[in-house]
Parts: sequence; C-alpha cells; structure tokens
Amino acid sequence: MATFRYILRDTWRLLSRHWGLSVLTLLTSVAVFFLVGASVLFVLNTRYLVATVEGDLMVQAYVRNTPEALESVARKASTYDSVSSVRIVTSDEALERLRARLGKQAEAVTLLDENPLPPSVEVRVKRAAFASVIARELISMPEVEDVVYAGAIAERLERISSFVSRLSLVILAVSMASASLVLFNTIRISVYARKEEIGTMLLVGATRNFVVFPYVLQGVILGTAGALLSALLLWFSYGAALDALERSLPFVSLITDTRVILRLGVVLVSAGVTVGWICSWLAASRFIRLASRSL
Amino acid sequence: MEIRFAGVTKQFSPDIVALQDLFLTIAKGEFVYLVGPTGSGKTTLLRLVTREVLPTKGQVTVGDINIRKIASYDLAYLRRDIGVVFQDFRLLPHLTVYENVAFVQEAIGVPPTDVQKRTNDVLDRLGLWRRRFLYPEQISGGEQQRVAIGRAIANSPSILLADEPTGNLDIHTAEEIMQLLLSINASGTTVMVATHNQYIVDAYRQRVIELRKGRMVRDDKKGRYEVDGDL
Repeated sequence: MATFRYILRDTWRLLSRHWGLSVLTLLTSVAVFFLVGASVLFVLNTRYLVATVEGDLMVQAYVRNTPEALESVARKASTYDSVSSVRIVTSDEALERLRARLGKQAEAVTLLDENPLPPSVEVRVKRAAFASVIARELISMPEVEDVVYAGAIAERLERISSFVSRLSLVILAVSMASASLVLFNTIRISVYARKEEIGTMLLVGATRNFVVFPYVLQGVILGTAGALLSALLLWFSYGAALDALERSLPFVSLITDTRVILRLGVVLVSAGVTVGWICSWLAASRFIRLASRSL
Repeated sequence: MEIRFAGVTKQFSPDIVALQDLFLTIAKGEFVYLVGPTGSGKTTLLRLVTREVLPTKGQVTVGDINIRKIASYDLAYLRRDIGVVFQDFRLLPHLTVYENVAFVQEAIGVPPTDVQKRTNDVLDRLGLWRRRFLYPEQISGGEQQRVAIGRAIANSPSILLADEPTGNLDIHTAEEIMQLLLSINASGTTVMVATHNQYIVDAYRQRVIELRKGRMVRDDKKGRYEVDGDL
C-alpha cells in the first residue's frame, strides 16, 4: 500500500516537475493519435464508399429474346461465387425504367409502336474486381449477344481501394513510430534528469521494478491521455465534417454509425496505453539496468 | 551479519589501486572505525560491502552471501539490510525530510502505519521532527547529514555503513550522532564508520582499522586515531 502510494506520488512528481515537457508530449500524442484516427476513418470511409459503389456495379448481358435463353443465362450466372445477385429484365420492364428516367420526355417513347428495348440479365458482382471476369464469362455464353458494364469504373475503384489501404498502412506506421519516439524521448529525459537519484534508490535497496514503475506510469498516463483527447477531438470533428459534407455533397454516403467511431476511440485509447507502456518501459528499464551495474 | 574480506584487491585502472590484498573479518555486532588519509581506500571498502563496486581479486562475503555471486534481484534485498550514510548524503531532492527517511520502508512495502510510526520515531531521535516537511535544499548540511543517518537506520538494518557521518557537524552534534550510532550498535547492528574525526575516535574507543594506500596497516582492538600525515 505504501509502495503503491509512493509510486503514485512519484508519478505525479515526474509529470509536474517537467510540466512543459509533459504538456508538449501530451500535445504531440494528441496530434499523432488524431492523425492515426483520422487516417483510419479515411480508410474506413473510402472502403465504405467503394463497397457502396461496388454494390451498385452491374454487368448487363443482352440475350436473344427467348424466355429459355434468359433463364439459361440467369441460371449460369448465379452459379458464380463472385456474383451477388442476378435478375432478368424483360423488354417491358426496361421500357418502364426508361420512362421513369426520362420523365416528361418519355412521351416520345410512347409514340413508338413497338418496344425497341431488348431483354437483359442484370448481374451484380460482390467486388469491382470481379466485374471484368464476369463480363468475359457472360460474353462467352452462346445465348448472350452483348455485354455492357462500367469496366473502367470497376478497375479504378479497385485501384483506389488498394491504394488507400496501402497509404493508410504507411500513415499508420509513421504516426505510431512518431508517437513512440516522442514518448520514449520524454521518459528518457525524465530518467536522465534523475539519474543520480535512481542510483541512490537502487543503493538503498529499491528494486528495479520499484524504481522503473513511476516512469512506466508516466508514459502510460501521457499516452492514454493523448489518445483519449484525440478520440474526443475526432468525435466532434468527424461530426462537423459529416454535417458539412451532407450539405455540400449530399450524394456522397459516408459512415454515420456512431458505434464505428466509438470502437475506433476504444482502439485509439488501447493503442495509447500500449505505446505508452512499451516506450516508457524500454526507455527507463534500459537506463536502470545500466545504473544498477557494479563498477 | 559478519563481513569478510579475503584477499581483496580493487583496481579501477592500471594506475589506480584502491585496495590491495585485504584480509579482514568484522564480526556480527562489532563497531569498527576505518581511518586513514584521503584516498587510502576507506570509501571503496564500504562500497564493496554494498556491491556498488566489485573486487578485482578476492572475495567479499556479507553474512553467507558472496557479493560477486548474488543475483541482481537479491541484491536489492541484501541492500535493505545494510543502512548506508553516504559521504555526500545522496538525499533524494524531490522528497521531504520525512519522505527521505520513509523511502526505504515504502520501497519494501512496510504497512503505512508502521512507516509512519518508525519514521516519526527516527525523526524525533535525530531532532528533525520540526524539519519533516522541508526539502533537503531547505535545511543545513548538518541536518542533511542527520536525515541521511535517519534513512540508513529507519529500516533497522543488520549492518550500518557510515562514510564521514560527522564530517559537517559541530562537536556537540557529532557527539550526539556517535551516541546514536553506539546505541544502534548496542542493539546488535554491525557498524562501520569511515572517519577523519580524531576527537570521536579517541573519545569513543572502539576497534580501529587503518588503511594506507589501499593496504591495511593497523588493526587495534580499542585503538586511537593516530594517523600520520592525515589531511
């Protein structure tokens, strides 16, 4: 109990003694963890956007106008794992859609005696990357006369998705390395500032763990507080960004589920605790191990 | 605890030999003065007991522990049983007088009520009660020395090593400190005092070990100071 009280007191002393350094470390942790959180949110939203667009990505196969041919193509298409749904669109349905899309101009279509639109099979793919493959498979079927799909969009989406994933990994790695370095150096400075005291503590019978623990706690507090503040900042700034985007780009759909942001906050705080713990342990224990060596 | 030096040599560099071929046994509960000119090896001898330094040759045994072979984790436990009054006090500047004396007890997990009782007793014995909330830099050199002694004895160690414990004190306070060290010794603690203070060595006659250039040149049962050419 006395040991625990001493450790708490000493941790407070470490934080308050070099308060300028503590504030600087805290601000840096806030900035770094905010960057980590923001980059994670960016990746999640990009993936969400890509998934939304991918969900709408469709390969349209125009088939010879016989019910058997339509059924046959639909049946074959639904056997592919990469296909999420298959739907037969009759000529009448295609005409109805055209009317709905054209509005008042649809009157022009009613002037035609015969429905000029061919029936088709609409095939939705699970991921953009599968669109080209499915299109090739469909065109090779004898019943299919033509295939239309947004091939360029599909490929571009796939490229964006993988680029964002790679970029986010780099941002994540650089941010975490910066946070670790700042925390490591802060603890190292605290340890060096008290190196003689540490030597005395060890000489009068304090164990290495007893000496090292206040420094570890200092690192954990700074890391956790930085991550916590950054999570709060992220919560409010993301809310504001969503409001602004909704007004200016209403057709863009982003993640609005608060549970995602809360989970991200929990991950950030856990990362703060872990990074703080590891960095301060490394910085303090290495020096204390050296200080406890006999001459 | 008995302390035994068997053929101990400590060489810091080819030119600096602090101790040479020292054979010495200090029995449990003994009171020993270490005398000799500056640089004779007194402080090194004390630092060998706490394993702050390791012997270059020979063997130092504290109780039944060979200090060269002790594991670093066990070393902390051995040091808790050895109170040390450092020549330069080495008080922890961020702790108050009370906290400095309580430090070792807190480090070893003594219950808070016992820490409070023991620390208050020690502060009372050393006349530091009124100074308990001050920091080392706010008290005089003599008071700092008493705090260092308080820290060393608060844990009732089996061995007490004191390097110049009366160095900054006036005769009256030095006598008080000596009375204190003798009373600690009377309770069974082995006490080793490295000193230049002729007055106290002659006034409180105990075993005297004289070192000169790292060699033991005298070991008197109830000796006097008698150090030639001392600074």
